[in-house]
Amino acid sequence: MDDLTRRSRNRRAESGSAVAFAFALALAAAPALAEPPAFAAREGLELVSAAAQAWSADAVLVYLENDEDLDGAGRATRWGYLFHSPSQARARAWSVRGGKLVAAENLDMRFDAPALGAGWLDSGAALAAAEAGGGERFRNDHRGRLLTMLLMRGALSEGDPDATTWTLVYGSPGAPSLFVVVDAATGRIQRTWRG
Amino acid sequence: MASLRRSPLPRRARAVLALALVLLAAPLAPPAARAQGESVTIVKVEREKPVREKRPTLRFLKANRDFIRARFDRLRVTTLERRAGATELDPRFLRYRELLAEIARAKDSVATAADERERHALFSSVGDLAKLEAELDQMERLLAAQGARLGVLQADFTGRQRTELDVLVTGAALAGVVDSVIVTLEDGTRVVAGLDDTQRQALARGGAFEVFRGLVEPREQVIEIRFAGDGWSQAGSGYVTLEPTRDRLTFLRLDLAQAQPARGLASVVAGLWRHEPGPPPAPTAEANRDEP
Repeated sequence: MDDLTRRSRNRRAESGSAVAFAFALALAAAPALAEPPAFAAREGLELVSAAAQAWSADAVLVYLENDEDLDGAGRATRWGYLFHSPSQARARAWSVRGGKLVAAENLDMRFDAPALGAGWLDSGAALAAAEAGGGERFRNDHRGRLLTMLLMRGALSEGDPDATTWTLVYGSPGAPSLFVVVDAATGRIQRTWRG
Repeated sequence: MASLRRSPLPRRARAVLALALVLLAAPLAPPAARAQGESVTIVKVEREKPVREKRPTLRFLKANRDFIRARFDRLRVTTLERRAGATELDPRFLRYRELLAEIARAKDSVATAADERERHALFSSVGDLAKLEAELDQMERLLAAQGARLGVLQADFTGRQRTELDVLVTGAALAGVVDSVIVTLEDGTRVVAGLDDTQRQALARGGAFEVFRGLVEPREQVIEIRFAGDGWSQAGSGYVTLEPTRDRLTFLRLDLAQAQPARGLASVVAGLWRHEPGPPPAPTAEANRDEP
């Protein structure tokens, strides 16, 4: 009888441990399920290009920016990509998160921007250049942080209207924002300004 | 022949039926008969359009649209003199010209050999037989080269599956008459496919009807389906949520066998499966005198 009671207690203890372990596992897994890993801008390009080709055969990538907060390595959990179709005279955007397209929409504004140049530096390299070119100092001096990274051709480039450039926007609660323009082909700082 | 004459269906209907049966043999065979990994998943046809979370995108661009557009507008009036560099030509296009030239050369060689062979109707010596054997060897080599060329073309043009959706209708509705099927994709693309009596009979006998086949975005999306026709025009819309896999062909089958207008589009049984491409078949070439 004593032996039976002991075995029964052991079994209850074991099943209790198993439930607790499963609960702990579920808790540990929950944030991972909720938040997919951050990735660099180029990683979403292949998937989004497949969508763009389905939309329009002549679609070209003209713009991209982070859709969620950036980390210190220039990665975000979501990036937005904008394609322009000359034949349709329209632009369509897709947002990539966790290896999936989670949003798609037509841009309700005229945006016939030029196609991005090939071989642009990925967001990590662009961030490293911007940090060295004044971003890090701004963050330290003004308790600022990196808000936005965007890639386009010509519009914010100084001197060479054909250049594809990354523009990094640093914000601070008590100071004007810092804009750093990085040449996406060479990683050279093109210019910085506050505003 | 006699059995054909007894058939109640006109010749055109028989042809359509035969075509439908042939079509059925490949993609609509039972799952067990299809290639591994092509099992059908039954999906629900909803009466109401599913509401999905809308995630904002390109917020900086939208918040600063006037500024950014003004910068682009300024670019357009800026003139810049530069040497224009030629873009790189895809080397495959050059290779295609070479392939054509090789085909033409091979044709000439075989034609010459055939002409010569015709002039020698009778072989009078062992030497002639040896010559014939050499000619046959040459033709075999040309055939092998043609096979290799076909392989190149096949790899370039049939090996690239893109993200596609194929919407099929099967079965005959229990009530009402379906005159047309209307499919609307999320990007607004609308396809209307009409059904005539012959096609409806083909469906009733196990045929399939392709409503839409085209490129789609590889993401979760909702497609709207409507039927028009006696009883069905007032049945409303049905919505199917699907997520086509990138660079794969996804089939959506709408089975009308249990469908009736009173129960709306929800009475349609929808099935999804993905076509997994197998290894490309070995290229073959049927040669003749004109086409070596």
